[in-house]
Amino acid sequence: MSTLLQSKQVIYGDLTQQSYTIDAFLGAGTQGEVYRAHASGQEVAIKWYFPHYIQNDVQLRQRLENAIRKGSPDNNFLWPLELVALPNSTGFGYVMPLRPANFKSIVDLMRRRAEPSFRALISACLQLSESFLQLHAKGLCYRDINFNNVFFDPNTGDILICDNDNVDVNGATGAINGTPRFMAPELVRGDAPPNTESDLFSLSILLFYMLMLHHPLEGKKEAAIRCFDQSAMNKLYGTEPLFIFNPQDDSNAPVAGLHDNALVYWTLYPQFLRDVLTRAFTSGINDQHGRIRENEWRVLLINLRDSLFYCGCGAQNFYDGDNIKTCWACNKPLIAPPRLRINNALVMLNYDTLLYPHHIDQTQKFNFSQPQAAVSRHPQDPSRWGLQNISDSPWTITLPDNSVKMVEPQRSVNLAAGISINFGNTCAEICV
Amino acid sequence: MTDIIKRPGGAMANRPLHFFWLADCSGSMYGEKIEQLNYAIRNAIKPMQDVAADNPNAQVMVRAIKFSTGAQWHIAQATPVEDFKWDNLTANGVTDMGLALQLAAEQLDVTQMPERCLPPVLVLVSDGQPTDDFNDGLNTLMNKPWGRKSVRIGIGIGQDADLEVLQKFIGNPEIRPLQANNAEDLVKYIRWASTVVLQAASAPASQVKDQVSGGVVPIPQAPPASDIDADDVW
Repeated sequence: MSTLLQSKQVIYGDLTQQSYTIDAFLGAGTQGEVYRAHASGQEVAIKWYFPHYIQNDVQLRQRLENAIRKGSPDNNFLWPLELVALPNSTGFGYVMPLRPANFKSIVDLMRRRAEPSFRALISACLQLSESFLQLHAKGLCYRDINFNNVFFDPNTGDILICDNDNVDVNGATGAINGTPRFMAPELVRGDAPPNTESDLFSLSILLFYMLMLHHPLEGKKEAAIRCFDQSAMNKLYGTEPLFIFNPQDDSNAPVAGLHDNALVYWTLYPQFLRDVLTRAFTSGINDQHGRIRENEWRVLLINLRDSLFYCGCGAQNFYDGDNIKTCWACNKPLIAPPRLRINNALVMLNYDTLLYPHHIDQTQKFNFSQPQAAVSRHPQDPSRWGLQNISDSPWTITLPDNSVKMVEPQRSVNLAAGISINFGNTCAEICV
Repeated sequence: MTDIIKRPGGAMANRPLHFFWLADCSGSMYGEKIEQLNYAIRNAIKPMQDVAADNPNAQVMVRAIKFSTGAQWHIAQATPVEDFKWDNLTANGVTDMGLALQLAAEQLDVTQMPERCLPPVLVLVSDGQPTDDFNDGLNTLMNKPWGRKSVRIGIGIGQDADLEVLQKFIGNPEIRPLQANNAEDLVKYIRWASTVVLQAASAPASQVKDQVSGGVVPIPQAPPASDIDADDVW
């Protein structure tokens, strides 16, 4: 097979003068080819551009140099480290970290070749929201969020974002407009160039795909199209975009037999998720200001993850008050575990629940670095469950009879209704 | 303990994509040319399967027509790409290209096609000029709605290939026929048609500004021929 670079070929980094030896061809895209390479005993990935792509994208080199200078927004990006070149050649590419093998593509998720639990899946969605928040907060725009640019670990929900060579300062003129099915309607219609707000739309599409295994705009209108060509895509995603669960207009509702995933998952998730998805694809379709921002996704996805509990059969279900009564897997009535109400949020107290600074310290929102509390079993009486203080500070609890006790580090409080816990600057109540 | 089902539902919904090879097996293809074509197609199977496996939007089905004196199905049954195998073609006879288009048109009739599909892809490979009524065949094809909606790619082998005919077949001035003057180019173009074009017809990749967009679907630029002066390549 003819590739741009050959195995054992050596190319050179322009910052470090490091020599990189090509080991193997990994894949090709529309812009170039990706190789595994090594330097000083360390494996890296190298993207090498097609000559015709370099000609078309005149800002490419400068964009990459800017990205390299600015550095990665966080550890989830396979960010360009330095440019690489060959002596006496105008061709170039860049070095980035190599993706570990345990990371699967979103296509694997869509094709059911990767099966994360709901918890891992939601964690992946949460990390995506956090990473794009970091990128956008730096004044950058990604431009091309799609299936092929995100990888995830199905066991943990850790993510990696690749193809960061289109990233540019928000508002800059770029060479890429986005990928069909993910582009915001104004981009499909050619009314606007990509920007942070169109990234937010693409992020919503990707999150919807991950949670629902379906596209939010593919309902009756898609079913009525015989040949799914460019004009069909322009109509569905550009000129007539209509959410499949639009509460005011059911003319694009999902069709049983064709769009079953949408129908299955929609009723499975709590109302608070359905409300935000509805907003993302109703007011957020045509109004750039109506798009769901990463911070709102973060709060929502944490609440969604905290609402998970186990059926006796082992399946993960979502708590939604009295709205979800039976398990989706075994169809038996669900029995919810005790829950902790922290301000407006609920955390299900499962046998394996951990609470983090995010939950118990108002000043530490989104901090999931070190668990502070863990659901635990009484050492002498396995039928009794408690919440163990694994933080460094004591908690104050108030019992239903208004008596007050201290829970020192390593001690546990019974999971009994009506007990309220003061974690320091945050109060919570145990509900059963 | 049995494995717990982690999440309900099935794979993401997708549509069939019918892919047709139309291969010239006339006498002028005899010898190296037909063997190069056989090699190029066999060489493209794995990349084609990889692209299909990485595309959740399409179920790719492959068929092939051979034409020389008359036209016959080489692979008559629409075959899932993961099971696609290539039996070598042999060359002998004249160039009944029009009949090949008629044969494809029969299968692109609405009564033969599933109700909902992605645009079919037709890749015509020839080294010469049609000896039958090409226009009649093309008209039959273009009178079928699925024929009109198809993405058509033309690859000419050698200097004698009739690029005008291939351009008429393509029917889109923004996509030019590809002329393969050596085995390496043929491998490259066959691979491009069976991967990049296949992908574009079902799940178009990132939209590069100013790319071809007037057809059924936007088709990314084909790779350049390898016989350009080496200094111009880089």
